[in-house]
Amino acid sequence: MAEYNKLTPEIAEQLCAVVGAQRFSAGENVKEEYSHDEMPIYGKARPEAVCLVETTEEVSEIMKICSANKIPVTVRGAGTGLVGGCVPVNGGIVLSTEKMNRILSYDMNNLVVHTQPGVLLCDLAADALAHGLMYPPDPGEKTATVGGNVSTNAGGMRAVKYGVTRDYVLAMTVVLPCGEIMKLGKTVCKTSSGYSLLHLMVGSEGTLGIITELTLKLIPKPIQDVSLILPFQDIATAIASVPSIKLANLDPQSIEFMERDIVDSSAAFTGNAVFPTVVGGREAGAYILVTLVGNSETELIGKMDRLGEIAEKVGAYDVLVVWTDNLKKDVWAARSAFLTVIEAETRLLDEMDVVVPVDKIAEFLVYTHDEAERQGVYVRSFGHAGDGNLHIYCCSNDLEEEEFKRRVKALMDKCYEKCTEFEGQVSGEHSIGHAKKEYLRESVGDTAYGLMGAIKKVFDPDGILNPGKVCHNV
Amino acid sequence: MLNILVCVKQVPDVNLVKIDPVTGSLIRAGVPSILNPLDANALEAAVRTRERYGGSVTCITMGPDMAAEALRECLAAGADKAVLLSDRAFANADTLATSYVIVSAARLLGDFDLIFCGKESLDGATGQMGAQLAERFGASLVSSMSLLRSIDFEKKTVIAERELERGIETCEARYPCLFTVEKTNYRPRIPNLRSWRASRFAEITRFTSATIPGLDPAQIGDPGSPTKVPRTYPPEVGEAGMMIDEGSVDRNVEKLLDLLGDVL
Repeated sequence: MAEYNKLTPEIAEQLCAVVGAQRFSAGENVKEEYSHDEMPIYGKARPEAVCLVETTEEVSEIMKICSANKIPVTVRGAGTGLVGGCVPVNGGIVLSTEKMNRILSYDMNNLVVHTQPGVLLCDLAADALAHGLMYPPDPGEKTATVGGNVSTNAGGMRAVKYGVTRDYVLAMTVVLPCGEIMKLGKTVCKTSSGYSLLHLMVGSEGTLGIITELTLKLIPKPIQDVSLILPFQDIATAIASVPSIKLANLDPQSIEFMERDIVDSSAAFTGNAVFPTVVGGREAGAYILVTLVGNSETELIGKMDRLGEIAEKVGAYDVLVVWTDNLKKDVWAARSAFLTVIEAETRLLDEMDVVVPVDKIAEFLVYTHDEAERQGVYVRSFGHAGDGNLHIYCCSNDLEEEEFKRRVKALMDKCYEKCTEFEGQVSGEHSIGHAKKEYLRESVGDTAYGLMGAIKKVFDPDGILNPGKVCHNV
Repeated sequence: MLNILVCVKQVPDVNLVKIDPVTGSLIRAGVPSILNPLDANALEAAVRTRERYGGSVTCITMGPDMAAEALRECLAAGADKAVLLSDRAFANADTLATSYVIVSAARLLGDFDLIFCGKESLDGATGQMGAQLAERFGASLVSSMSLLRSIDFEKKTVIAERELERGIETCEARYPCLFTVEKTNYRPRIPNLRSWRASRFAEITRFTSATIPGLDPAQIGDPGSPTKVPRTYPPEVGEAGMMIDEGSVDRNVEKLLDLLGDVL
């Protein structure tokens, strides 16, 4: 059992000396926002102090102090997580990377960018584009930090073509719990050189070390792209179209699905009804949103024609062409705003981020809706049809919180069991935090879960880094 | 059969126009051109009218060659024909010269029963084109039209709603009639693949000053434009506000009272 110490005035003074009084707060001066992420249903916890670090050396100094005094350290980016990952549930300090927000340099010959971890995804994406390059990972939460994306191995909307964050991390600087600074990876794309500690760090949610610098792979930005909306009668027919789309050699950049409910909510919330609800006189019940890329308009038209043929065969009501930049912006902003919309219209909220085989998506959604109805909560869902990653939000505006939690737990127990039955994953990109630990253990089994715990112990023998998360029990 | 004309303009996406910090002038280089957003609403109104009553929708614009892209967008969204008026001699035209060229060319295309325009353009925002075109066409003008309710083919009249500051006005007008369209009820459609594809290969009718017979050189382009723009500059911006974020409501109130105390 790990035992932690409380922050004494003396230790606080040492920490304050590292970052300076302007970037240090403790006790009552700690802002409330550091006590939660975007899923407060999992509980809030105020840190004893917050350090806004700016350099690797500062992180190292802080870790030396906290390691010597057994003070828990929870790293936090923009706090946009959904599983309580950055919430200091076992006390101690929060180490915020929000001021490590500089893009350091581009290497145009090797197509990489060196960046600090606190850079926001939207800023990195825009800056790369200004250099004629693209950072392929495209999670819906654009104001997350890149460090947070790496720590959760976020995937996003372009994963079906380009893969996930992990595939774009070439190297990093990490501070270990003892304060030692370590470099992992190199600016090369291949390695067959021992265990990949780099890849162990990706998705480790701040439990093994603190990432203070990143080298990320970029690609030349696609010359032309087009998005297409395929409205369907219902979610089952919409999802049934995905294998045909994937088999047609279109190499789509994104294949997203959305149910009518969330589209209606989004239109009401933003006042911008981007997705047509009646198509050719028929009510749409679900949508597939596809993005295609190509080197010329001719190439794109060829791909669009093939998609058109498939759409007709699989029962799409029509194929709508999102061609102009402003329309693309509107459509994808509406898609990215879904979570904000749900948060705004819901008093009590919980979520699942499961991944199931693509051909099981519809069945899983139907099962979830049925179980949710039985439990008296309602469900909003959307996600990445191309890779089977579903974002399912369990909502209620009527129930008492404790009753809601009880019912959602019953619902989730069933759904995660179904997910395991379908050979799916507990989380596609939101991670485990402390909210999904039990479901992880059940999914991977005791042996694998035990190995994860053992690895954690090797990196962090005193368990001071983000205690109580992923596979660590306090 | 209704003969419908939609007058459109390609404009710089002013949301992306930056201001030169030294000269204060607008930097348009590298700014993408788009179909004037309110013209897309006008087109939607025109296409819905054709879908209800039959007829044909022609889109017309004056501009450089690249304005053809705005016309293709109109064709994708339901227009039947597109006409581009492009000539160096048309450059630097104000609204007076522009309306003269458009009406001169439109007369070559036939008699139009209904003419739809956006309420104003995103860049110049004079809102003058609709009224000038109506005058030159000899058409009734229904400005700020938010809904075309019905057409009476026997009486040759339309009934339409106008969106005014104090409410909705319903009016009857004889056609030919020109509408400047509000966006309220005419959200532009997203084109489907069939019409989008056709628009990429569609032929665009082109006119130059030489192919519009009888065009008076003194009334087109720079010579025909009494409006002179000596300088463009951004409006003065007032002092930025400040956010109070002291971590709690109580502390925010305390801070606010402090600040007010300094002022009062």
